[in-house]
Amino acid sequence: MIAGLLQLLVFQGLGELLAHFVVPAVPGPVLGLLLLLGWLRLRGRVAPGLDLVSGAFSRHLGLLFVPAAVGVVMFLPQLRAHLPALTVTLVLSVVATIAVSGWLLKTLSRPDDDPPR
Amino acid sequence: MNTSLPPIHEIWVYLSGSPLLALTLTLAAWQLGTWLYERSGRNPLVNPVAIAVTVVAFVIVAIDMPYATYFEGAQFVHFLLGTATVALAVPIHNGLAAVRGRLLPLAAALVGGGAVSIGSALLLARLLGVDAPLQQGLWAKSVTAPIAMGVAEQIGASPTLTAVYAVVTGVLGAALGRYVLDAVGCRAWWQRGAAIGIAAHGIGTSRAFTVHPDAGAWASLGMGLHGVVGAVLIPLLFHG
Repeated sequence: MIAGLLQLLVFQGLGELLAHFVVPAVPGPVLGLLLLLGWLRLRGRVAPGLDLVSGAFSRHLGLLFVPAAVGVVMFLPQLRAHLPALTVTLVLSVVATIAVSGWLLKTLSRPDDDPPR
Repeated sequence: MNTSLPPIHEIWVYLSGSPLLALTLTLAAWQLGTWLYERSGRNPLVNPVAIAVTVVAFVIVAIDMPYATYFEGAQFVHFLLGTATVALAVPIHNGLAAVRGRLLPLAAALVGGGAVSIGSALLLARLLGVDAPLQQGLWAKSVTAPIAMGVAEQIGASPTLTAVYAVVTGVLGAALGRYVLDAVGCRAWWQRGAAIGIAAHGIGTSRAFTVHPDAGAWASLGMGLHGVVGAVLIPLLFHG
């Protein structure tokens, strides 16, 4: 497990360095993700320790953005003033996004690519 | 009688000055949120993040703790966002093995879905007269929150608003997804999963896993790839 965490931290560090010195437009952790993805594709397999740690992170991903999201207390007056408009925006936008993504996936796939349920 | 015990306010001052309180509060609120989510049979409307954020917000307002003080303690959790982002390479790697022959529809849905997510939200917000600072958080709302907050920093938007919109988008997408997908006639599990992952990231993915394992695996892949594509393209679009 520590080996997996270490591997993540090393790739995160490489990503941060790359972001700082070479590609400032992309967040460091995303570059770290791409580097790790490249490494995994080279190796062809995921070490058990890394699999364990990444599984734990994905199960509790939501916990990690609680501290930032609690900052919503500082935006409450503005959000309240625009609540109806923001609600309509978010609902319609996510419906449109799902509809377009789903439609594109269906339309551009081979018609027989629908494994039985 | 033990007279050496300090008065209660001294204990309080001591506790609230250390990161312990903020960390304990954050983890306890998350535990409560996930417990309720499991109890509800993983109903997307009983979202653990929304519950945890509400509980923490109520508590810090009630005990008069400034947000900055809370964040100073909770930053240990916050720090792990970057590490968790790197860890998304694993589900992407596992998912890519199954992509053979489905690359075109997947790539089209990533770009098309991403563009519609941004375009429709900005257009509607502008039409409905939402303040400009509140609008900027909408850019990355369909991107998984850890990446979305990094993107928000890149484009000068508020990471907090971005995270809040992302959570609301995830909850709405997870709750409404099946009806929308039925309406457009998208039936295959892998397609339904990928569409939900692209539009409603982690919360949609969690929902997809409860429906069908294929839908879940494709939702994680859609979420991860949308995160990467969004992180690269959103700053370019925003500044371009």
